[in-house]
Amino acid sequence: MATTVSKPETLVGKRIRRQEDPRLITGTAVYVDDLKLPGMHHAAFVRSPHAAARIRSINTRAALALPGVAAVFTGADVAHLGPVPTGASLPDLRVPHHHLLAQDRVYFCGHPVAAVVATDRYIAADAADLVEVDYEPLPAVADPEKAIAPGAPAVHPQWPDNVAFTFHQEGGDTAQAFRDAEVIVKQRITSQRLIPMAMETRGVVAEWRAGEKSITLHTSTQIPHLVRSLVAGILGMPENHLRVITPEVGGGFGSKLNVYAEEALMAWIASRINHPVKWIESRRENFLVTIHGRGHADYFELAARRDGTILGMKLKLIQDLGAYHQLLTPAIPTLSVLMMPGLYHFANITADIIGAFTNCFPTDAYRGAGRPEATHGIERMVDILAAELHMDPADIRFKNFVPNDRFPYATATGLQYDSGNYRAPLIAALGLVDYPNLRAEQQRAREEGRLMGIGLSTYGEICAMGPSAAMPAGGWESATVKIEPSGKVTVLTGASPHGQGEETTFAQIVADELGVKMDDVMVIHGDTDIVQYGIGTFGSRGTAIGGTALYYALQDLKAKIKKFGAMLLDTDDVTFSGGSCTDERTGKSVSVAEMAGAAYRAVKLPPNTEPGLVATRFWEPPNFTFPFGAHIVVTEVDRDTGTIAIRRYVCVDDIGNIINPLIVDGQIHGGVAQGLGQALWEHAVYDDTGQLITGEFTDYAIPRAPMMPWIESSHTVTPSPVNPLGVKGVGEAGTIGCSPAVVNSVVDALAPLGVRHIDMPLTPEKIWKLIQQKGRA
Amino acid sequence: MKIAGAYTLPVPRERAWATLQDPVVLARCMPGCDALELIGPGEYHMKMKLTLASLSGLFDGKVRIADQEPLDRFRLTVEGSGKIGFMRGEGLLTLAGSGASTEVAFDGDVQVGGTIAAIGQRLLDTTSRMLIKRFFEKLISIERNDG
Repeated sequence: MATTVSKPETLVGKRIRRQEDPRLITGTAVYVDDLKLPGMHHAAFVRSPHAAARIRSINTRAALALPGVAAVFTGADVAHLGPVPTGASLPDLRVPHHHLLAQDRVYFCGHPVAAVVATDRYIAADAADLVEVDYEPLPAVADPEKAIAPGAPAVHPQWPDNVAFTFHQEGGDTAQAFRDAEVIVKQRITSQRLIPMAMETRGVVAEWRAGEKSITLHTSTQIPHLVRSLVAGILGMPENHLRVITPEVGGGFGSKLNVYAEEALMAWIASRINHPVKWIESRRENFLVTIHGRGHADYFELAARRDGTILGMKLKLIQDLGAYHQLLTPAIPTLSVLMMPGLYHFANITADIIGAFTNCFPTDAYRGAGRPEATHGIERMVDILAAELHMDPADIRFKNFVPNDRFPYATATGLQYDSGNYRAPLIAALGLVDYPNLRAEQQRAREEGRLMGIGLSTYGEICAMGPSAAMPAGGWESATVKIEPSGKVTVLTGASPHGQGEETTFAQIVADELGVKMDDVMVIHGDTDIVQYGIGTFGSRGTAIGGTALYYALQDLKAKIKKFGAMLLDTDDVTFSGGSCTDERTGKSVSVAEMAGAAYRAVKLPPNTEPGLVATRFWEPPNFTFPFGAHIVVTEVDRDTGTIAIRRYVCVDDIGNIINPLIVDGQIHGGVAQGLGQALWEHAVYDDTGQLITGEFTDYAIPRAPMMPWIESSHTVTPSPVNPLGVKGVGEAGTIGCSPAVVNSVVDALAPLGVRHIDMPLTPEKIWKLIQQKGRA
Repeated sequence: MKIAGAYTLPVPRERAWATLQDPVVLARCMPGCDALELIGPGEYHMKMKLTLASLSGLFDGKVRIADQEPLDRFRLTVEGSGKIGFMRGEGLLTLAGSGASTEVAFDGDVQVGGTIAAIGQRLLDTTSRMLIKRFFEKLISIERNDG
């Protein structure tokens, strides 16, 4: 196993409160919408009410006549810019040209048709209402399976079959596995469209400096450097004339791992009107035009022996892409394919993806991004197989887990699982719920006619994304550590966080390595003029990759500090610990502050040593990391109302070494909340004409505090050998582990009625209807 | 969304037919209708205020009467758009009965888009029924008072 930095008397591993929180809970944090610049104008968008239509004409006269309106821009004004980029590359991928504003056609509800700029937000909104657009509505298609059926309306006329790409992956010999099978189970499993719903909507403030021909773009994003490169590309301007600043970000969940038309438009508009311009996305726009997640219809087949041994798997995956490719849209379902085998030891898989265009907003990365869909599929299929074979769902999992002596483990999908002890979290979780007694209790409940269910999910995860070869825009991360002349420490991280608490966890790592106080550490992120290039925070990579870059930069600095220590102590041999260098022979020591002072005054320098104490590292990970865990959910279904009560939620997650258990708890809780959202309540529904009919919170049910169960969270620890911190990643684990455990539990509750599978979300209406229908049968 | 139903007007067929083709009467009966002016054969320009759930807004659009088979049936199309989206309703109205009253049956389709669809879809069914009910109740009361 890997070496780790964990040692006694360290801050790493302690439940330390987040440094970020005081400003967040006292209203002193600065978000994009808090920015007020002199002469700042405000933008509002005219958006299509049709999912598909030709634009016959646009009349902006009345809007321009409104006092306070500075400009109205339409598709013709920005036809030379763009396109909105996609970073995903797949063979023969069809990429529609995604203009910043609609040209002669609109392709989804909410498609921006014009941007109105005025001296205040209200005038801009009023003027947007005065823009007259004459549309000729066209037939639309909103369902991916209907879209690829013959005769469906073409989303893009040049591709009448609505197929953006197909993708085939083969591992082992699936045909042989299915010939050898004694039992084959099949199931269509959907993973419905979801809306990520960050608390802070998107927002942009752009500032043009005519003298320097430069633009400063303040935007709520997870990837400031990539936004800089890509927006500069869209506008055709030199990258180093564009500065992207990411102030506080109120949640992203993948929805801000993107480059949006509005970001480029605001930058361009600021330069056109020669005033700063602000656009803050309304909540209604957030529902409609910030990326959605999931959107799968998956056809699974699992081949096995009668003793429960899994032999192979087939998957046909239909991905609802929406009308365009946003940054990673087509890549997301390929992650599902990678994760198909889950934690199970079988060598044969065949997967086919069909990426379908629909007249909907694009799907893209949402917490888990492809892995929740795959995990939901495999974990449901394992339960369906267990039911078919009358096996206990725990036993079938134990039987198929990759054994401990097989790591690093090469999967049928081409991954190499770094480390694992898959039995451990399941054993722990079964112990926590007292599984044999729980099953006995369930038996008694059933005899009383109650619908009690026990659901297991033993999930795997791909974290720390990722090796650059597997990523569209580099997978490394950067860190600069500066010990200032006073001995205070400044960290610049390229892994721009948006709620992950890196200002705390990174300070913990620095404090342990340099022996300084956490309060003496300042972590700076999210400003491309200050921070060296970085990739960003997504794919549970912040600590595993960004933290590792930081760790190595700290090692470089420690080596340099020791040279100054040796010089000041006039010896060849010093030890560095607890924030000072010590000459063991004399017992004399010098502090980091004293050594830093010497390094910057530079009156005298150690041999072959430059002044200053700054180190930068760009760390390229050799592999992903692969966390895992077991979630057990106990439910009881009310026969009369279809309501599901979660009686217990137990999760044992193995995420490698833990830097800050308090932050990890938060990540697990938030992740489980979003998993429960998908399992029980959330569904982004488009009607047949492409209208999003769940466009507000009364129709789109996200979990609220009273809807949450008590989460009993604990961990097993299997360090990752991929990085020196031994960490794996935790940002998405809760979401990935959750939904199959919930659905497996409810299906288990309804199993006596003959229920075998239910698609999410498990709304009371759906469950009630099922009980009525099965009760009658 | 499909919508169908029937109301009974307390007047004979000829009178019912004439009333249903009269823009002045239609404008008085359509809930929220501000103006209805003839712009072509069987085609009227309409301004209408519509309230759906927490949304309300002005719609600017057209009312079209087509496929007239006098005394028996005609096709009515109402379409409008405004800042809260668009709506389009199309239906066949069939008149039946002999004597002092006439049964008017309708069978059609209502479609909405934009904000009104995103926010108000859940209430669309009941709102449409309510608007139709108010239209016929007003029509019936006008006929009663005139007759």
